[in-house]
Amino acid sequence: MASIQLDGVTKRFGPVVAVRGLSLQVREGELLTLLGPSGCGKTTTLRLLAGFLTPEEGRIFFGELDVTRLAPEHRNVGIVFQNYALFPHMTVAQNVAFGLEVRGLPGREIRSRVREILERVQLRGLEQRYPHQLSGGQQQRVALARALVINPEVLLLDEPLANLDAKLREEMRFYIRHLQQEFRITTIYVTHDQAEAMALADRIALLRDGVLQQVARPEEIYRRPQSKWVADFVGVCNFIPGRVLGQEDGFLVVQTPVGLLRCSGTAGPGRVLVCVRPESLRPQAEGPNRIAGVVRSRTFLGNLLDVRVFCPGEVVLRVQCPLTWDAQPGESLHLAFRAQDAWVVSEEG
Amino acid sequence: MARAAEMARLRVRRPPRSAPPAVLLLLPSGLFLAAFFLVPYGNMVRMSFLAKAEGAAFANGVTLENYLRILQDAFYWRVIGRTFWLAGLSTVLTLLLGYPVAYAIARAPGPRRPLLLMLLLAPLLVGAVVRSYGWMILLGRVGLINQTLRILGVGEVELMYNTFGVVIGLVHVYLPFMVLALASALEQIPAEVELAARSLGAAPWRTFWRVTWPLSLPGVFSGSMLVFVLALSAYVIPILLGGNNVLVMPILIVQMLLDAFNWPVGSAMAMVLFGLACVVLLVYVKTANRVLRWIGR
Repeated sequence: MASIQLDGVTKRFGPVVAVRGLSLQVREGELLTLLGPSGCGKTTTLRLLAGFLTPEEGRIFFGELDVTRLAPEHRNVGIVFQNYALFPHMTVAQNVAFGLEVRGLPGREIRSRVREILERVQLRGLEQRYPHQLSGGQQQRVALARALVINPEVLLLDEPLANLDAKLREEMRFYIRHLQQEFRITTIYVTHDQAEAMALADRIALLRDGVLQQVARPEEIYRRPQSKWVADFVGVCNFIPGRVLGQEDGFLVVQTPVGLLRCSGTAGPGRVLVCVRPESLRPQAEGPNRIAGVVRSRTFLGNLLDVRVFCPGEVVLRVQCPLTWDAQPGESLHLAFRAQDAWVVSEEG
Repeated sequence: MARAAEMARLRVRRPPRSAPPAVLLLLPSGLFLAAFFLVPYGNMVRMSFLAKAEGAAFANGVTLENYLRILQDAFYWRVIGRTFWLAGLSTVLTLLLGYPVAYAIARAPGPRRPLLLMLLLAPLLVGAVVRSYGWMILLGRVGLINQTLRILGVGEVELMYNTFGVVIGLVHVYLPFMVLALASALEQIPAEVELAARSLGAAPWRTFWRVTWPLSLPGVFSGSMLVFVLALSAYVIPILLGGNNVLVMPILIVQMLLDAFNWPVGSAMAMVLFGLACVVLLVYVKTANRVLRWIGR
């Protein structure tokens, strides 16, 4: 097990820059998700780490070891692909044993380690099956077992749950987290699914067009986004345009079309956006940060009610609240939020 | 009027009927094969049992003599042996030469693949006869290569009218078929499967032997079978590039039919070649299937 460090890594494909000056540290035993829309460079980053690609600039370290130009077979990396990439001509046991065989381990040790890992991923009894005879979830676990059995320095997961149905995906999420902690293995997990990233990660690294946007704990990413793009990409967010007037009691005072708002943030003077999550807004008659508005529409989400409220200055706010509030279209009301639940970002990006 | 249009629309939107039964789909090609393949072949089988006649292609009266004459003559066995040897050699060589090409095509980026396939198939636009003459220009005694060698003072080398020339011609003409079969099999192997093997510690050559090669075997088997059968029945290339120095069964058969005007023996020779080819292919298919089953494909 080792830490991972990327130092100003750049990868180009012809004229396209897939990853641009990426610097990132992953601590020993940490699970970091690389999150971003498709084409943001997260899979390229993973392939650079696995050694399938070599960067034009920058260096990659596993612990103290510079692996930038090391061939994949010498990196001792466990990787799980979206399509699992199991060897279709080998049984489950042969798939899992492959990495141990090429290391030249004695047959007895191979057999016992294969047995042990299949026990851990609950696949005992399926040793002699071929991949095409397994369900998606079982194939997934074979892929995990095959990657883990070699005791890799780092574990790389490339959208490992994307091919599973929704229910199983959620189960496997917790399962992967459990395995990762049990093995205490440094893991990089690539996904475009923010819910997955939130649920799994110690930290999330957000990528956009090959550029790192923010690295932080899930909660921080969600509550303290560094830019409008981050706030917009992760979860749903209301943006209220405004101008910072000054500070008061450690909060920023922002002038907006819906009134003076007090919010958290560090943005300097000038034009800004106030980010308020839909669940931070509450229908309330009293309190600070009161915004007058009219209910335009409501959508039933099962556990929540999603309400659109028209406010002064053509600001439309989305409010998500428990079903105890029965908003009716046309209803006039006041919304309020706590200053610590709102966050100011600069307007560009 | 409007109602008629409405009816027409409804008719168009009627749910499609399930596909016609397989028998109907096979009927046109089945009829064609029956008329132009089965009937002549049946006629040839009959012919191979007829007696030889003076001044005519054949006489009436059933006999086994044609077959006995072939099977008891060491000369024919030598020719049969040579025919199979050349076909086998060409198959192995096209496989060795074609595999890297097929791999490159299968792993080429999407937009480039059709172009590469087109380049591969382009030679098929020129018939085997023309291409054989092309080789003659290159390989002949006063051909390009020998002229160059003479200038360099190496002297003359026999490149044509021998086994070497025939094999060159066969490999050249049948290589695209091998590459096509291999490429379509290799394309079925996701690149990630090879990458997974690499990350698990297998060096490139090991990845090839443990993963790529076994997974490409269906293509290897189908491509080999195709090239072998084609090379076995090749006539134009052996006659042009081998002259009469490299006798193979198709040349003998044509000689027997056209020059000796002996239809019964010619037919019997064709039947012998056909029968032996069937035996070889049967053994081959059985072995191939066993191998594929053994590796779980």
